[in-house]
Amino acid sequence: MTLLKAIVRPDKVDSVKEALGQIGISGMTLFEVRGHGKQKGHPAIYRGQEYNVDLVPKVQFEVVVDDSVAEDVVATIIKSAKTGQIGDGRIFVIPISHSYKIRTGDMDRQ
Amino acid sequence: MVSMSLTRRPRFRALLCALLLTLPAAGTVFAQASPDPAGIATGDKTSVTDAGGGSFVVAEPTDKSAPDYAEKKKAYDEFQASAQKEPLAMKLADGLGHVKIATNTAWTLNTGYLVLFMQAGFALLTCGLVRKKNAGHLMMLNFAAYVFAFLAYYAVGFAFQFGAVALNAAPANIGGTPTLNRFLLGSGLWGFLGGKGFFLTGPAYDASANTMMLFQVVFMETAGYIIVGSICERITFGAFLLCELFVGALLYPIFGNWVWGGGWMSQLGASMGLGHGYVDFAGSSVVHAVGGFCAMALAIVLGPREGKYGPDGKPVAFPAHNLVFVVAGTFILLFGWMGFNPGSTLGATDLRISVVAVNTNLAAVAGSASALLVWYWIFGKPDITMACNGMLAGLVAITAPCAFVGPTAAVVIGAIAGAIVCGGVLLNERILKIDDPCGAISVHGFCGWFGAVALGIFADGTYGAGWNGIGAASYLGAAGRGVTGLLHGDASQFLVQLGGATLCAVYAFGFTFLVFKAVNAVKSMRVSREVEIEGLDVPEFGMEAYPEGSEQVSLA
Repeated sequence: MTLLKAIVRPDKVDSVKEALGQIGISGMTLFEVRGHGKQKGHPAIYRGQEYNVDLVPKVQFEVVVDDSVAEDVVATIIKSAKTGQIGDGRIFVIPISHSYKIRTGDMDRQ
Repeated sequence: MVSMSLTRRPRFRALLCALLLTLPAAGTVFAQASPDPAGIATGDKTSVTDAGGGSFVVAEPTDKSAPDYAEKKKAYDEFQASAQKEPLAMKLADGLGHVKIATNTAWTLNTGYLVLFMQAGFALLTCGLVRKKNAGHLMMLNFAAYVFAFLAYYAVGFAFQFGAVALNAAPANIGGTPTLNRFLLGSGLWGFLGGKGFFLTGPAYDASANTMMLFQVVFMETAGYIIVGSICERITFGAFLLCELFVGALLYPIFGNWVWGGGWMSQLGASMGLGHGYVDFAGSSVVHAVGGFCAMALAIVLGPREGKYGPDGKPVAFPAHNLVFVVAGTFILLFGWMGFNPGSTLGATDLRISVVAVNTNLAAVAGSASALLVWYWIFGKPDITMACNGMLAGLVAITAPCAFVGPTAAVVIGAIAGAIVCGGVLLNERILKIDDPCGAISVHGFCGWFGAVALGIFADGTYGAGWNGIGAASYLGAAGRGVTGLLHGDASQFLVQLGGATLCAVYAFGFTFLVFKAVNAVKSMRVSREVEIEGLDVPEFGMEAYPEGSEQVSLA
């Protein structure tokens, strides 16, 4: 099993969600997060005083998929979240061992 | 209401009667003019005037040596004869006089309620301009300012300010307050402090005096919360309460007495021949400059917020946390100002109110346009918080001259004020290094000073004949000529405005600085560094301003 952590622009949430639905991904978890990459945010000005907004709001998707489809899902997320501009985000691919369903206590390795 | 108060307070009334009987001296004073708590003896034929203010009742001339004595005596005799002939007309005039006072009372009270609503505007504006971690603290300050300054003003402030108002400045539009007639310090044209009406008892327990009280206490409150914008994000709650008691009981009422309570500055026309004396229609100086320069002194005593200036001395931006509050608050203040300025006629029978209302709006929009464009030009981006400050700057500056100038002058005054506030904010932040989170010093202090001076420049003489007892018959050789500024031929008015506004600034700054430098030496008025970094909401008040979870960004 593979955990995909995709950090995307907040305004791309709907298109990523829709694209994942179309390829049959049924479960996902979203987080509102703040962060920065190489560019360290963007400059702003308040009452004539410049300052830097270095932690930019983003949304992080967490999706667990079977190893065999992981790369396809990654490609789908990239396609649906990309603008080509700085700040499009990152996707982390993490192997996980297994999971449990709380309602039934069943273990799931698939 | 009347019958209810009669039945509910029999003991109090009996006590009052007993007190009057045991004080024969006081009894004779009251026999001439007694307080009228029920308002049933306020407003009769003597209140009736024509549109130009000419009295219906012809008074008996007393000075037999006056050159026009014979003429006046004849008019008086004719009036008496027609009064004898037409008793019904006299009765009708009594009713008309009462309706006039009632109209003006309703106007004054309702505009006072508008000024009261400015509380909400100030609370939103100042809260929006600070950081989220101090939002609860800001709300508490705005709330407590109203409560504690009100009590101080009720106890002593009103008496200090208006305790002698009947002597030189009785507000005839609302029936006068004839028993508030003693200076505690000074006398005649040189009064320094009122001395009657403490705790609104005795002579102040009167319908007209209470109309004044309601209208004036909300003005004092404005000065009271101006200071919040400069001292927030670092002052302890205890020290803040002390500041409010100081403003409500001493700082504001003393200067208010000098200008509005018949005190010495208002009488400089009569005593020194300086124009119409010091004139401030609705309080550019009396309210705003007093509040603004008090705020400046407090901001200096407290020092800048933690981290406001970097190690190199460069100011650091602390962005506003809620621009929606800032704009909503500013428009509530603009709306409230429609009570502040037009209401200061103390009467709807004074039709100048429409000019006052339009002037007030013109200065507001000119001020915000000018601040917005100046900022756009300097920094390449218009700043909504500065545009809001500019609107308030225009309003503050037009507050003194609003009744005495025409629309073009109102636009010019507003536009200059908008530029002053931009310069003031940069001067305070970058050169003087006075940390003023909401720009209160520039908006209310600098522009308040400018507004009072602008009156001395732009007043066009169309309004205010007989103001402060000057030029009732004619002024500068013209009958009906009112308060006149430098551009229209009265340099002495400009001088007294310049001197008076500057004195206001020095008084408010100096008095506050001395008192609170001493207070701060006894016990620091500032929260600890740790509290300031964490935000004052939880350490000072035990709660956060926003409910759990509201800090999350919304999903697109």
